Amino acid sequence: MTVHLYLSLIPEALIASMLSPEEFGAYYAVGTQKKSRGQAIFFEIDPKFRSDFFHIEEGVKRCVVHEDGSPKSSIYISVYRVLENIPVDAIQSLYLTTQDGRTLGLDKSTQFPEDEGGLHLYREISPVSPLVVSSQGPKGFYELIVKNPTSLIKLPAVCFAELRLGDLAEDPQKGKIGDLPYKNMEHLRNCLVSLKTKFVMTKMVDRLPSNGIPFRTVKNGFFVGNQKKMLFFPLPDEKELVSKHYQWWRSATM
Amino acid sequence: MIDIWLLVGIGSGIISVGAALYLYYWVMRQDAGSERAQEVARWIREGAASYLKRLYIALTLVCVVLGFIIAIVFSFDLTQLGTGSVDVEPMRGVIMAAAFVFGAVSSAIAGYLGMGVAVQANVRSAVAVSDSINKGFRVAFYAGSVMGLTMVGLAVIGMCAIFYLTGEPEVILGFSFGASTLALLAKAGGGIYTKTADIAADLVGKIEVGIPEDDPRNPAVVADNVGDNVGDVAGMGADIFDSYVASTVAAMLLGAAMTGPDSLKYTVFPLILCILGIYASLIGIQFVRVGKNGKPGPALNFGTVITCIIFGAMVTALVLLGGYDLSTLWSTLIGLVVGVVVGFTTEYFTSEEYKPVKETARVSNSGAAITIITGFSYGLLSILPSVIGIVIATLVSFYISEASGVITGIYGIGISAVGMLSISGMVVSSDAYGPIVDNARGIAEMAGMDHSVIVKADVLDSAGNTAKAITKGFSISAAALTVLALFAAYAEIIEARGISVEISLRNPLVIAGVFLGAMTPPIFSALTMLSVTHNAFDMIEEIRRQFKEEPGILAGKVLPDYTKCVSLAAHGALSSLVLPAFLAVGLPLLVGFVLGPDALGGFLGGAIFTGVIFALLMSNAGGLWDNAKKFIETGQYGGVGSEAHKAGVVGDMVGDPFKDTAGPSLNTLITVMSLVSSLFAPVIAAFHIF
Repeated sequence: MTVHLYLSLIPEALIASMLSPEEFGAYYAVGTQKKSRGQAIFFEIDPKFRSDFFHIEEGVKRCVVHEDGSPKSSIYISVYRVLENIPVDAIQSLYLTTQDGRTLGLDKSTQFPEDEGGLHLYREISPVSPLVVSSQGPKGFYELIVKNPTSLIKLPAVCFAELRLGDLAEDPQKGKIGDLPYKNMEHLRNCLVSLKTKFVMTKMVDRLPSNGIPFRTVKNGFFVGNQKKMLFFPLPDEKELVSKHYQWWRSATM
Repeated sequence: MIDIWLLVGIGSGIISVGAALYLYYWVMRQDAGSERAQEVARWIREGAASYLKRLYIALTLVCVVLGFIIAIVFSFDLTQLGTGSVDVEPMRGVIMAAAFVFGAVSSAIAGYLGMGVAVQANVRSAVAVSDSINKGFRVAFYAGSVMGLTMVGLAVIGMCAIFYLTGEPEVILGFSFGASTLALLAKAGGGIYTKTADIAADLVGKIEVGIPEDDPRNPAVVADNVGDNVGDVAGMGADIFDSYVASTVAAMLLGAAMTGPDSLKYTVFPLILCILGIYASLIGIQFVRVGKNGKPGPALNFGTVITCIIFGAMVTALVLLGGYDLSTLWSTLIGLVVGVVVGFTTEYFTSEEYKPVKETARVSNSGAAITIITGFSYGLLSILPSVIGIVIATLVSFYISEASGVITGIYGIGISAVGMLSISGMVVSSDAYGPIVDNARGIAEMAGMDHSVIVKADVLDSAGNTAKAITKGFSISAAALTVLALFAAYAEIIEARGISVEISLRNPLVIAGVFLGAMTPPIFSALTMLSVTHNAFDMIEEIRRQFKEEPGILAGKVLPDYTKCVSLAAHGALSSLVLPAFLAVGLPLLVGFVLGPDALGGFLGGAIFTGVIFALLMSNAGGLWDNAKKFIETGQYGGVGSEAHKAGVVGDMVGDPFKDTAGPSLNTLITVMSLVSSLFAPVIAAFHIF
């Protein structure tokens, strides 16, 4: 059986598994064996990828079928500081698994979304996971926190998604409130306004968002990058999700 | 001439049942779809059959006990009670008991056929809607018509046959009591069943585990779909059957109480209205077609309006050609018009087209508490148009009839109630359509049909929700007028025994009765809703157990054990009925025998007023919360998963037992209490402590 390498982002871990991405997502989210539960976001890594930082070969060797012939679900190779130690070129597809185990695969795109201007809302996923507003588009935001920070804070690598701000992107004070992944609207408005009135390019809104990754509010897709490069994994629009990935979309919009 | 009308009634009933059977076979000839779809439908069908089996066993036990009591009590010549010597006529008791059993069995047959076709039509409608909305609609509506036409057909056959054979409307009271007994079990039991399954499925499935609605991995999903049928098809059908018969018998009793040569003519007049209603419904059903715009809601409304117009024309011809007093025409028409208007005003409070639902959805951004307060407030406001409608129908029919000098005012009110219910064939057809398309959508989801099918099934479903809300408003108003007529019939029966009924608020016994009566609907509501939460917790434990013991269920590798939840819901629903049933049957007798006829009159008055108010509030507030949530799901105020949606889900969950358990069961409660009081009025008149 093929052994896959998965880079899980919640929690950050490198895992060897004999399960296909869809099976791994279901296993990870609804816990047929380990009883672990919840959403999962993971990348499939090039199976040939090896690094001195990880004991990948050892992990792959341990990933063998069970006595009853069933595939090995997971061998944890490493946790913590995984993302920063995997080159982005080794990253293949991204998989989003809902809380009830439905998995959607996303391929990377060479085309990045155009910055439409206005303000932005980002949900960082790894290595930290705050909800942040910024005056910068996705590329600018990545540059700001990974490549060329203007403050002392610098991330070695990051994975994040831009979320929809709706009317608040243009008019944070009076814009109509749509579907937003944050309850305290007045606070959100204040954070957005401060981006316009003070000399700051980012503002943390929520240090520890409690509602998981709100797939339904993702604006255009997921970004992952390190010091060298950034990749973009576009999320299909709602129409395509409904028509081609209906089961996933239903679970994702719960 | 009277005998001819009665024979025509029996013939018309047979035609109605025949038309229902024709539609039944038409539905059965439609494509039942893929193996997977049929398998899902089979689960629902088997769950529904197992519930009906338990329900009918319970009914048989109740029929045996109550039938025995009725046979004994009515073996005595009740007119001689209290005179020292009483003749015993066992045959009379047997006839009364037989009428009681006949009523229960007729209602049961209508429910059985209605639910039988509903659980066959759901999958066929899902398959047909994949071709077009019109095809899916036709299958579901014609299946609903099976319930509507069977119900009115059997009711008319029963009432005409009993009156033809006995010539006594009092015996039809036994028939009506039988129908009401089944209605109480079917409506309250079905309401408890459906919401037990719904709430348990949502709490564990959606909130704990995060799986969507109608997901086949949820062990309670079949019970949830079965619940739609037992609550909204069998339950609502039995409820309207009950009101339909009760209103007719009340008007007949009031007609029989009138003196003069035309007494018999006016006694049979309500039956003739029912006969005309059958034909109006049969014709009206032909006009229900989805137009080019593909909207099923207007098609259902158009059918109802056409049926009313045809019925109105038929009654006008009958009154003018048959030599009936014109006041009967006005009473009938005012009942008919008010019934339809009340139904449509219900739509205002529960449809997402209008302000109450939109406003409740809008404020949901601020959390569940505001959703509850706003929805509850609109629910309270929704009482207004219905009560005004009932007041107008009562006053207009009373004073026009009194002014005629031919019929009594109270008889006019009775006729008004019959007028309202005469188009029940059409109304029940529209109502039963709702759960069929609801199931069709669920089956499309569970069987993994294409998303375009689900979108079209959603269109059918949303019209079904509105139809259900309209029917609830209609049936509550009709029940209110019916019990007013029964209340009058009760007083007539007591006064016929030479005892004057003095229902004055200066009489402390009446005050006591009013308070006790006013307390009964809220207590009944509490008991049924507590049954829902109690049974839901049992089912929640079962769902959690299945998920825990078989992890393959959530992974989609193993099917859950659906039968466990179906069985828990059925057992829980029926065993929860003991106390509510005692309230409905035992409490009026207790009040009557202890506090006397005046207090019982006050008791009925109190129960009618709070019963109607509570029924309207609960049904409309529940419908409003449901549609506010659905409105948010269309993408408004953040759509599915948003904070507004979470608040909307809480509102919907609170409203579920309001609108589907307690609210609509209150009609049956007040009808049963009024019938018990009328039936046992002669005994109460003779034996009471105060």
